[in-house]
Amino acid sequence: MRLGGSDPHTLAGAYAMDAVPEPDRSRFERHLAGCDSCRQEVRGLREATAALASATEVRPPAELRDAVLRTAGQTRQLPPAAAPAPAAWAPARDQRRPRWRPRLVVAVAVALAGALAAVAVAAGVVTYGMQGRLDQTQGRDHAVAAVLSASDARMLSAHVTTGGTATVVMSHHERALVFTAADLHVLPAGESYELWLVGPAGTRPAGMIDAAGHGKMVGPMVVSGLRAGDSVGMTVEPADGSPRPTSPPVLMVSLR
Amino acid sequence: MTEGQHRSHGESARRPRRAGGQAGAGRRADELGTLLTRVARGDQDAYAAVYDRTAGQVLGLVLTVVRDPAQSEEVMQEVLLDVWRSASRFDAELGSAAAWVMTLAHRRAVDRVRSEQKAAEREMRVASSAVAYDEVAEAVEARLDRERVRRCLGSLTELQRESVTLAYYGGYTYREVAGLLGVAVGTVKTRMRDGLIRLRDCLGVDL
Repeated sequence: MRLGGSDPHTLAGAYAMDAVPEPDRSRFERHLAGCDSCRQEVRGLREATAALASATEVRPPAELRDAVLRTAGQTRQLPPAAAPAPAAWAPARDQRRPRWRPRLVVAVAVALAGALAAVAVAAGVVTYGMQGRLDQTQGRDHAVAAVLSASDARMLSAHVTTGGTATVVMSHHERALVFTAADLHVLPAGESYELWLVGPAGTRPAGMIDAAGHGKMVGPMVVSGLRAGDSVGMTVEPADGSPRPTSPPVLMVSLR
Repeated sequence: MTEGQHRSHGESARRPRRAGGQAGAGRRADELGTLLTRVARGDQDAYAAVYDRTAGQVLGLVLTVVRDPAQSEEVMQEVLLDVWRSASRFDAELGSAAAWVMTLAHRRAVDRVRSEQKAAEREMRVASSAVAYDEVAEAVEARLDRERVRRCLGSLTELQRESVTLAYYGGYTYREVAGLLGVAVGTVKTRMRDGLIRLRDCLGVDL
């Protein structure tokens, strides 16, 4: 496979050093997804860069330790990813197909486009309300603040097909999004909503929505690992979550 | 030709790697991986241990790339919180724990220097390219206290070393590096790859 008329393998070194900006990076990652030997090479080169990093060690200020440990104790952890952690590792092609097919995803996204346009009218109000709620969390949730204060932060809203509204503030710079929802249909016991990131890098679980929030305000939840070309989706799953969607999406928002 | 351009990068590069950094990561690295597994389950003691093992390297790398101490400390905290939040995403099959942490750190550092605010300043630096390499090299030299890494960097050709240094420690994109060094983009790409391959092989099994 050739990329842009030159051998794509030559980008492996630059890629391992984060020296490949978009859109070249996405193109190279698509190439990686189908090239085992390239992924293996990138892994090896990353080990070399880690050695370069280890040579620059300094002694960090002692007070940072307490601050970081304290903040971590108050920060929600991400669930395991079905695919390798997006930000750090070359994407591996998902072996199993998601239950919904890409074409369906497109269809749902197109259907939602109309709903988005309608929501846009109310967006000012939503923004204002959201901001107030989100401001409260800034002090305690570092990750939320990072997304909201990102220079490229963008807000999208969409209706959930089974009822309720979801609002997403996303930042590709932070590779993360903040998800909130209101008035979600209350599910029977044993079921819950699960979020997904869906894109060229595969379909990755992005967190469960606490059943306590159904019918009320949900979030803000931070979803990291956002990649170029991703959409955020939501399905109904068993309460303890699924590694892969098992029902059609009730929400699909393109984050491009 | 000092660059070793005649060397076929294709063959040597695509050969499956010997155990190298992956399998021979050593006890210290294995311990870090085990700790990360515990962190993924919310173990705060394990997290404190991960912090103690990685914070110095993370801050050192971020300082080298970002330079500004206050910003670097911010980025370092972001990185360590990333480690806490996404520990479940660490997969030992895909590389060592140290590489996982340092990849997060480097990505964050690079994002910081490439943010809009910095863009103009960097453009100016690219324009006055003579300064940039010396500046980066100096900053690196001051911190490079691992003899083995220094020796291996020294084994690269000049252009390989400059390309790797500007990209990794300077946080420049490969196109910027090409501009800084006044060489073709394609040349820089191959030098970066050949340089890292040579480094990887020089650093050997005890990565």
